[in-house]
Amino acid sequence: MRLALLTLALAAAAFAGAACAADRYIVVQSTTSTQNSGLLDYLLPIFTAKTGIEVRVVAVGTGQAIKNAANGDGDVLLVHAKAAEEKFVAEGFGVKRFDLMYNDFVIVGPPADPAGVEGSTDVVAALQKIAETSAPFASRADDSGTHKAEMKLWKEAGIDPTAASGGWYRETGSGMGQTLNTGIGMGAYVLTDRATWVAFGNKGDYGIAVEGDARLFNQYGVILVNKDKLANVKADLGQAFVDWLISKEGQDAIAGFEVEGQQLFFPNAKGE
Amino acid sequence: MLERPITRHGAVSALLPLVVEDLVFEAGGRRLIDGIDLTLEAGRRSVILGPNGSGKSLFLRLIHGLIPPTSGRIAWNGRPPGREVRLSQAMVFQQPVLLRRSVAANIDYALAAHGFDKAARRARTEQMLIEAGLEHLARQPARRLSGGEQQRLALARALAVEPDVLLLDEPTSSLDPHATLRIEMLIARAAQEGVRIVLVTHDIGQARRFADEVVFLHRGRIAEHAPAEVFFDEPGSEAARSFLAGELVL
Repeated sequence: MRLALLTLALAAAAFAGAACAADRYIVVQSTTSTQNSGLLDYLLPIFTAKTGIEVRVVAVGTGQAIKNAANGDGDVLLVHAKAAEEKFVAEGFGVKRFDLMYNDFVIVGPPADPAGVEGSTDVVAALQKIAETSAPFASRADDSGTHKAEMKLWKEAGIDPTAASGGWYRETGSGMGQTLNTGIGMGAYVLTDRATWVAFGNKGDYGIAVEGDARLFNQYGVILVNKDKLANVKADLGQAFVDWLISKEGQDAIAGFEVEGQQLFFPNAKGE
Repeated sequence: MLERPITRHGAVSALLPLVVEDLVFEAGGRRLIDGIDLTLEAGRRSVILGPNGSGKSLFLRLIHGLIPPTSGRIAWNGRPPGREVRLSQAMVFQQPVLLRRSVAANIDYALAAHGFDKAARRARTEQMLIEAGLEHLARQPARRLSGGEQQRLALARALAVEPDVLLLDEPTSSLDPHATLRIEMLIARAAQEGVRIVLVTHDIGQARRFADEVVFLHRGRIAEHAPAEVFFDEPGSEAARSFLAGELVL
């Protein structure tokens, strides 16, 4: 907690003169994956130039970000876990949740397309075809957010792929890049987040086979932490940041963020 | 040098990722670990950094399975920390715990406990003593070594059994810079050979030299978890900013 951070009196005195300017900052609790995407490095200077408000981003896991915000260690929460975000607001820790943007998962596959799923926008039907044709599929199988999303989709498809583990279903137990490398090496389909795929340097002759299904969307929300519950919250500055993100200007800025010429985040705030 | 494409225990990083969910540890009515969520992937050098009393060492002992948590979940590639998982790990403590026997016998004992046969033990002990620069002291009583030598022996003994994961708890905090450098070189070499390193320290310089990623602990919670360059250049949390600025973080 901020109040609990005692600093040497000397240091405090030295910085006292600059206190006014230095106070114009907010702390945003967010996730490592959001920060690693490069989006915030692109967005925040635009906001700071406009408002003079510095934004300090804390990167942690999703669950930890929510806990830290509930503990008073942040002014704004920006994560992608809708149910947990709504609970955060319902418990009084957040003022209101706004949809902000989404990014998405895609299934990439070999040009031969052994399961005949290329061009599909129905991810559940595509997974069913992959299973029916026993076409190889490489899974991260590492309990990551992406792996959890994959398992949820298999469940919707009514298939337990782990029953075919070691057969057509290959569990790599490793990260996204490693799983893509392994999957491409064995001609397997792979579920990946689009950002990793766009930046991935070893695509070979692979391309996107399945995309555009709403079930592949990863929705981000933004929430101002509630000053009534946590008195340290810089409500005015935090509100200014939330307002800007969901304004036309902020939404346009999100849409303007590109990696390798591709848009990675799709703004979908409903506006005021 | 060790070769480590495949370990004795199976594929490289068969123990990763480590997934920790809502981990809590309470003692004496105090919550010392307060709801930690953390995923550590394969292939990185992680430094757990934080002020004294932030729960770093306790967290390391919990994930190693030396003490049971009050609540929460710890899974090494889906398996709870227990004897089987611990056999693929090694831990080095701040104060080396050495057996009252010779330097070489300390390593031999660990190898025997891990089921290495006699010939393998002899070869491996000799190799590890050379790597640690202790071969000339092989027959000395371990407890008569200097502090730095004792810690090198503890590290050589830990690495002798070919762990997938090496957990280090402030391994150089009572050593001088020269001894610290030798320990860090041994750890760096193990990391190059594929051992997953999780290092607990409160030494910012050591964290900068060593970390691919930093997990910053404060008051039993993760205040920040970021790639090293992000953490050291632009820490977001108040606690980490104060700590890196050399202020007293309590």
